[in-house]
Amino acid sequence: MNTYILAIESSCDETSVSIIKNGAEEISTVVLSQMDTHASYGGVVPEIASRMHVENITMVIEECLNKASMTMDSIDAIAVTYGPGLIGSLLIGLMAAKTLAFIYHKPLIPVHHHAGHIYANNLVKEMEFPLIALVVSGGHTELVYMKEHYSFEVIGTTLDDAVGEAYDKVARVIDLPYPGGPNIDKLAKEGVASYTLPRPLDDDSFNFSFSGLKSAVINLVHNEIQRGNEIRKADLARSFGDTAVDILSKKTMHALKKYDVKNLVVAGGVSANRWLRNRLTEECEKEGINLIIPEMKYCTDNAAMIGAAGYFAYKLGRRAVLSLNAKATEPLK
Amino acid sequence: MKSLFINTSTDKMVVAIVVDDKVEYLCKENRGRDLSVSLMPTIEEAFSKTNQKPNDIDTIFVANGPGSFTGIRMGVTVAKTMAWGLHLKVVPLSSLELMASTNTEKEYVVPLIDARRGYVFAGIYDHNLNVIKEDSYISLEDLRNEIGEKEVLYVSEDQFAFEVAESDYDILKIISKHKNDEGINPHQLKPNYLKMTEAEEKHNEGGK
Repeated sequence: MNTYILAIESSCDETSVSIIKNGAEEISTVVLSQMDTHASYGGVVPEIASRMHVENITMVIEECLNKASMTMDSIDAIAVTYGPGLIGSLLIGLMAAKTLAFIYHKPLIPVHHHAGHIYANNLVKEMEFPLIALVVSGGHTELVYMKEHYSFEVIGTTLDDAVGEAYDKVARVIDLPYPGGPNIDKLAKEGVASYTLPRPLDDDSFNFSFSGLKSAVINLVHNEIQRGNEIRKADLARSFGDTAVDILSKKTMHALKKYDVKNLVVAGGVSANRWLRNRLTEECEKEGINLIIPEMKYCTDNAAMIGAAGYFAYKLGRRAVLSLNAKATEPLK
Repeated sequence: MKSLFINTSTDKMVVAIVVDDKVEYLCKENRGRDLSVSLMPTIEEAFSKTNQKPNDIDTIFVANGPGSFTGIRMGVTVAKTMAWGLHLKVVPLSSLELMASTNTEKEYVVPLIDARRGYVFAGIYDHNLNVIKEDSYISLEDLRNEIGEKEVLYVSEDQFAFEVAESDYDILKIISKHKNDEGINPHQLKPNYLKMTEAEEKHNEGGK
């Protein structure tokens, strides 16, 4: 018997609804991105994001069902991102999901946003366990050990800034438009890594620190401006990107070795970074690691990944009641 | 006629089910930050206590503002999702008009919602709920000038330095006034904030 999950994701600036079959097959996904609106403010404005979510939510649900040529009758459960994320944004998807679960008498499945990012990989290829997941985004940098489905052991995390946050701040210092990550990625292609940058927490632990790296870039730019020197922006983008990717891949490869794990999945917005993809692909080939990196469309926030994670949560009997609340911060569990 | 009534514009959450001219269920509680937790269970209780199903309803009346931005969005999201899913008529109402339904001997009612820094969301209504002055985001000073010599009753759920009566909605009065309203496409239902976001204000000041 096939199981169809209708999933809703609204944790930041994308209103997304998806229908996923058996946790692995994407039937239809609609993503309404607000990126252009927020770009003119230099970053996501939470109140504007909430306002756009509430205006669009039912249209996105309807379009997703139409695209799938399905009705709510054939949906088995409603999955929704309940956190972490922007609280006002999360609440729109959450209230819509609760209303759908109520009026159609469907089970309501709470999905952690990071579980969603990890399970995006199951839409590419069936995930094999045990595995290590590298979760990298604007809000988080985590190494997660998974013995089996829905068992999340966070073995390392960032002690300060998330890697994506560092990308965004560095982009701002060198006058690249929002979103910073993809723009640094693009500019780095034209540069060489000629600036020497520090590698905070370059040790055997699985924790990360990107604040020092970010500050080093900011200080370097200020000092060069004061001295009247020109900043070689492409070189700086490349130097910063290389350093960040090096830290991420070193720690990840070390975790695989230490936990004696042969499967790696990469998740979150920063997994769209081409340098990170290339570097991990190379290292994993060398070490005989089975690597899954989501397709580009699954790297950024989308409801397809929530539907994939929601399916496994559903199979494990995880259910939420109608008092389910949204959580701005929430440990992965 | 069976209707579901939702107001989440202020800390006082209101959920009601009205069948013909009778209020069959009414919950009016201060929920504040718990709104996102309690709204759906309260709606569920409203239906189960009155032995109604969501399908039995013909109209959803929802207050779409002004008031707490997050609060309004909760009620509007639930109302539009339910109206879309069940093909129900949805009628947006002013949260200030609801407050203005409070019974009074005075000729005019001025409902107020504190918007901080000397500003309020307010309107001026007569006791038949006719709009004398449209709802707006206005300084207390300008509001007093608008009121002038009129004999008014201020109603609010917030505290002010002058005397205000606690609002007490007359849901039947509201519904009888609006039962023949046409209703709108649920996709088009959105909050009426009466105020831009701070980011938009700054952006506009910047000459863009």
